Parts: sequence; structure tokens; C-alpha cells
Amino acid sequence: MAILASIRHHRFLAILLLLLTVGPAARAQPSPEYKLKAVFLYNFAQFVDWPTNAFAETNSPLVIGVLGKDPFGKILDETIAGERIKNRPLEIRRFNKASEVTDCHVLFVSSSHSQEAAGLKGKGVLTVGDAPDFIEHGGMIRFFTEKNKLRFAINLEAAKADKLAISAKLLQLAEIVSLGHGPK
Amino acid sequence: MKMRPIVCLAGAAKLQSAFLLLLCATRLCAQTNLTEKSPEQLKKLSLEELMNLDVTSVARRAEPLRQAPSAIQVVTGDDIRRTGASSIPEALRLADNLEVAQKNSHDWGISARGFNTDLANKLLVLIDGRTVYTPLFSGVFWGAQDYLLEDIDRIEVISGPGGTLWGANAVNGVINITTKSAKDTQGFFLETGGGSSLQDFAGMRYGSTLASNVYLRVYGKYQDRASEDLLNGKNAGDDWRMGQGGFRIDAERSDQNKLTLQGDLYDSDENDLTRKVSKMSGGNLLGRWIHTISEESDTSLQLYYDHTHLGSPKPKVLLEPAGNLKDDLDTYDLDFQHRFGLGEHHQFVWGFGYRFTHDSLQNAPSVAFLPPQLDHNLFSAFVQDEIRLATNLSLTLGTKVEHNDYTGFELEPSGRLQWNVTQKHMLWSAVSRAVRTPSRIDRDLREPTGLPGPLPNSILSGGGPNYVSETVIAYEAGYRAQVATNVSASVSLFYNDYDHVRSTTITLPFIFPLVFHNNLEGRTYGLELSATWQVLDWWRLHVGYDLLKEDLRVKPGQVDASHTLNETADPQQQFSFRSSMDLSAQVELDAGLRWVDTLHNNNLATPGTVPSYFEMDARLGWHPSKSLEFSLVGQNLLHSQHPEYGFPTASREGIERSVYGKVTLRF
Repeated sequence: MAILASIRHHRFLAILLLLLTVGPAARAQPSPEYKLKAVFLYNFAQFVDWPTNAFAETNSPLVIGVLGKDPFGKILDETIAGERIKNRPLEIRRFNKASEVTDCHVLFVSSSHSQEAAGLKGKGVLTVGDAPDFIEHGGMIRFFTEKNKLRFAINLEAAKADKLAISAKLLQLAEIVSLGHGPK
Repeated sequence: MKMRPIVCLAGAAKLQSAFLLLLCATRLCAQTNLTEKSPEQLKKLSLEELMNLDVTSVARRAEPLRQAPSAIQVVTGDDIRRTGASSIPEALRLADNLEVAQKNSHDWGISARGFNTDLANKLLVLIDGRTVYTPLFSGVFWGAQDYLLEDIDRIEVISGPGGTLWGANAVNGVINITTKSAKDTQGFFLETGGGSSLQDFAGMRYGSTLASNVYLRVYGKYQDRASEDLLNGKNAGDDWRMGQGGFRIDAERSDQNKLTLQGDLYDSDENDLTRKVSKMSGGNLLGRWIHTISEESDTSLQLYYDHTHLGSPKPKVLLEPAGNLKDDLDTYDLDFQHRFGLGEHHQFVWGFGYRFTHDSLQNAPSVAFLPPQLDHNLFSAFVQDEIRLATNLSLTLGTKVEHNDYTGFELEPSGRLQWNVTQKHMLWSAVSRAVRTPSRIDRDLREPTGLPGPLPNSILSGGGPNYVSETVIAYEAGYRAQVATNVSASVSLFYNDYDHVRSTTITLPFIFPLVFHNNLEGRTYGLELSATWQVLDWWRLHVGYDLLKEDLRVKPGQVDASHTLNETADPQQQFSFRSSMDLSAQVELDAGLRWVDTLHNNNLATPGTVPSYFEMDARLGWHPSKSLEFSLVGQNLLHSQHPEYGFPTASREGIERSVYGKVTLRF
């Protein structure tokens, strides 16, 4: 019996070790985190001023776009439903490639496309992402979590280069980063 | 002749699951919960408020406490710290729906809704999903259950049956102790101090990050507790020492997968009146994998191993000499659960479990369990469906099916109705069946006398295969409300109908051995009230009251040698009142008053009482900086000593007034 118990014990340990080392890292459904990020995208749109030529007309919609694989599902649409910012209606557009992005004001760049952030420069788009290297690739606002709370970093130079005015309120809450050695 | 068990065992283990719908329903309510909030609600929050929300990555259906349809009370880690509780039993005094009686320096009687005898057996107690009641008598050796209290997240106490989700032994209540994730215990924590009863103690924890999203903590603690006094003022000699250490690793490899590996080791030496040392030691290792499939669906797989050792000196009885009873228990447990939504109206949870225990006894001459070695298998499966009948009305139906080696199949169904009258007022009711399956003492106990035949060869004996499961059918109703923005209240009513409750039968012609049978039946009913009032930002009041009526009788045509007195030792009423003040940003003052009604217990068929009493605890805390805290705690301040338990004999102990000071460092 003691032998049996000891065998059981070892098998048990082996299973535990297996559990620790093999964690499938699949990611499919929108997590609550993206519910929060969707609300932030909506908020960013309120705290940023675009140059007047960013809109065709005074009542043209403010467009929030998603580039690449959409992590939001229906949440983003639900978040902006019925909302207006500075009297502009809001609209969601989804893009597959950076080159397709036009008439867009806030763009969430999915982590699969973070390397394309550089290609969005000069389009007057506030680029937002959550890939760790998003800022390095020229992105403007990067989400990250700290102690289970959502935080964001802003690359002020990149935003200025695209003539986007980010309000002091937003800057106060952000971690300001600059690339230092990066391209101006 | 004392009817109480001569067994005074120690150390224990078993399990059930931690991934329980009800607990999930309440676990997240302490933090601001993101899953619960609609985009509409989130948009109303300021940026600062949004940045203060927890980014909970596991989607669990989390409800505010006031929406949990059962008689649940929650003791938070902060409550424990603020009241100066120095052990898990002391922390459990903060749950209004429990009876807590300290018997001596290291033994406690804890129960819900009655039956708080020395062989109390109707409560299921889990620490991080690991069951800690002993299969020897289905009770808990409270002296062996410990943790670094700083790292306890919360203690959930449900009074009433929980058999449908938790299985056998969740007859009158469930206590679920949850420790913090290693992610939330990063850095150093050190505490040390001493005083009169709690003579000296020290604890430490270190938490670090092993890799991205992989967190570790290790902890250790030691305590040395003084003896209490006998009622005649003499030293009871029951001082004890305990050391415990352990670790926990939490890995959040992705939003969808959370892995936990944790373990503890402990060792304790308890003295008694005869200056004999009881030894309790043990250890456990537990792994859990929670996998989130979607916001509506997740699974949990848990495995653990637990070992307990007990060495307990037993006195000479008649011709049998004194000796040692030793018990080694190995428990292997697997538990799987899966939750998913089906359409708009159904929320299912199902699961299965298997537990294997190997119990190995070295019997003492005067106390024995036969056979000394016993392997036991427990298979279980359950399913539960929460049906949304209307937007504010839901019906939860479910059942557990278990198969154990003693009594075969057991069924534990329940039905629960929840009506959210408004967002702030909730009514619920439930009907449940629960069972207490036999423990080893009920079936296998012998207390040999050494006398030659035809004289009695045992004083008290288990009932063998004739001993069956005790059953209860419980009818409950409750109301939970946020009465005003700063007042919350709850009331629970219960009526329990018991059958096959333990009795003792005499053996002719010498009366002994007394043999355990299931000859009692009866009912209990009562209510539990609790209310919290946040008077001012810095001042909170809490009040609790319990009423319990017990009416047990011998079944028609049967006998009970203890005239139904052996299974109950409960106060009919108890009352508690607590005040919690932040006197300044650095100074906290907490005080708690409790009143416990007269306790009726017995010595065989002779009733005895513990007088009703008022007692008071208080704590003054000062934290001059974020990392440093000093506190002074007084316990049982109103009397130099008072008994909380036991038949009025010379060996009954009084619990002494005590104070201790503590220094805490966090960095």
C-alpha cells in the first residue's frame, strides 16, 4: 500500500508540473479588459483636438477605426452607439491594412499590426495600441496594465508631428514617453 | 462517566472545490468589478475612476454580495487585521452566523445553526479549495488550521446546507477561506509581537515576480501561546507552540489561463492538563488551473495532496494502560468544474470529483479505530442550472450525487429562488437536502476496557455498518438589502428537519458499551440578523443577532442513553456589536462586544450549563508611515476569565483576559 501511495504521489506531482509548464495561450473572446479599452478610445476622442482639415465638413463623423484583428467584438459599437463628440456623430470602421486607412481619427492598431504604425504617420490619425513595442514603431498611445489597473503611455512627439493636440487632462494621467534615439 | 469522546485527535484533510458558483458570485464584489459594468455605466465614469478599475481577466459572473441568494457573511482580510484576530477561529468570531466557543488554549468549537458539541460534524471547511475536516469524526482540529493572516483575502461563511455544490458534510454550513493571489502579496511583510496569552509570535512573507505574469510568495510563522486557567484559578497547563510555512505561485500565462501551485507545512505541540504533548503536523500541495473559454464559460481543474499526522496521548482506562493514539491520513483529491451559459435563460455549472483517502492508525490501548488501516473512495458529480425566469427572478435547481464506500450513493438536491425586488432589495428562498455521511468514529470506534468477559470490553463503540448517513431537509428564506446608501442589512430564516441523527444505545446487562446508532430525529429553527451602518466616513457600526431553537427527540420505539443531549451544546441566542473608527489618517480604533446565551451541554444524560456572558475585544492601531504599523490588542477584556464551553467540572477551563502588542513592517 505504501508503494501504491508513493506511486500515486509521483504521478500527482508530474501532473502539477505539466500544468505549470503547458498553458495554452489561445486568445479568442473579447475580455472585460477590452470593454474598458473601448471606453478609453471613446474618451481619447474627447480629449484630443484635430486640425480642422481632418474633417470634410463641420458635421462629418468622427471615425474610430480598428486595424487588424478586432479584439473588441460588438463592444466598441455598443460603446459609441448614440454618442456625439463636439456635435459630430461617431462611426466605427475596420481596416485590414495600414494603406487602407483614410478618413479616420482614432485608430486602434491590433497587436498583429503594430509594426504598421509607422505607415500611419501624416494621416492625422491618433494611433492607439497595446503591443509592448507599439510606441517604438511610431504609435502614439499605448495601453498597459500595472497592478491590474489600466494605464496608458503617450508619445507626445509623435502626436505633435501629426498636429494632434492632446489635452492637458489626458497628459496628466498618462506616462509620457519619448523615443530619445528614435527618428524625429 | 463522560460521554464526550475520549478521542481528542488532531490534524486533518479532505477537499472540495473552490470554483463554486456561489463563491464566485461574491468573490469579486470587494473590488470594483469591470465584468459587471455595461459600456453605458463605464462612460459615466471619469478617467481617474476608469483607471481605478481592476482589469479582471477571468470572466466570472460576479454579483454584489447583496445579490447572493443564501445566508452568506464575508469576513475580509481587512476586518481580520482591524479587529486584531490572531488566529482563524478568532477571525471566525466576526461571522455573525457562526457559534464560536473557545474550549482551552488550543481547542475550539465552531458550528453554524447548532450541534456544536465536541464531536461537531456538520460544517464543511475549506482553505483555498482544500477540505480540512477530518474523516475521523467529520470535525475540524482548529488548532492545526492556520495561515499568515495578512495573506488571507477573505473568509466566506454560508450558514445552511451547501450539499448541492459542496457535497457531504456541508450540512449546516460552509466556511471557505481564500488566500490572496501571489500577485497581490508582492514585497516583504514582517510582523512580530507578544503579550499575555499570545506570548510571542513572528511572521514573515516575501513576494516576488519570477517571470512576466508569474508570481511567488513564501511565508513562515511561529507562535507560542500560554496556557489558560482552570476555573479554580490553577494553571491548566495547556500551552502550545506552532510553526507553519508555505508558498504560493500564481501564473497568469494569458487572459484565459490562470495556474496556481501552493503548499504548506506545519508542526504543532499542544500540552494538556496532564502535561502530555499532543502532536499535530502535516503538509499539502495543491494545483489549480482555471481556463476561461469566454465570458460565459470557464473551467477549473484542481488536484491536491494532503497529509496530516496526529499523535495524541490517551489516559489509562480501567485495565487498559495509558498510551498514544497516532493517525496518519493521506488525501488525494481531484476536482473539475465547468460553467457555461445556454441561451439567454440558462447558466449551467457541472462538475465531478474523486477523493482517495488512506487512513493509518496506531491505536492506543484505551482508544482504537478498527480496522486501523482504511482506504476510502469518494466519487461525486453535480449539475446545477440557474434559470432566469424573468429579468429579476431566477430559479436555481441542482443536485449532487456521491458514492462513498460506507453508504453507497447519496443525493443532495436543492432548489433556490431569487427575486431582486429592486436593485437594492433581494428576497430569496431555498429548499435543500444535505447528508452527513458516517465518519470513522461513528462506525469504527472502540474504547477498550481490558475487562474479562462477560464484562463490557468497550466503553463506547461505533455502530459498524449499521450506522447510516444523517440527513437534513432545510427550508430557508432571506432578505438582503441596501437600506440606505450607508446601511446594509440581511435576515435569514431557517427550519431544518433532521433524521438519523447520532444517538447512543446501551448494551445490557452492564449498560456498556454504549453504541452509536441513528436513533434521533428532530428540527431546529431560527434566524440570523446582520446590519452594517457606515455612520460617517471614518466610523462604521456593525450588529449581528442569532436565534436558534432546537427540538430533538428519540425516534418512536428507539432509545438514546443521553436523552438527546449528546448532539447539541448551543446558545439559544447570541449578539454582537462592533465599532470601527479611523480616528485620524494614522490611527484606527476598533472594538467589539459580544453576548452569548447560556450553553446547555451534558455529561452523559446529566445536563450542565455554561453561563451566558458578555465579552469585549478592542484594538488600537497606529501607522506612522505606509510601511510601519503598531497595534495594541485586548481580548476578552470584561472578565479575568470566563468559560465558553464544557461541562462544569474541575477540568473546565476559563478563557483569560489577554493583551498583546504587535509591530508590522511592509515594504
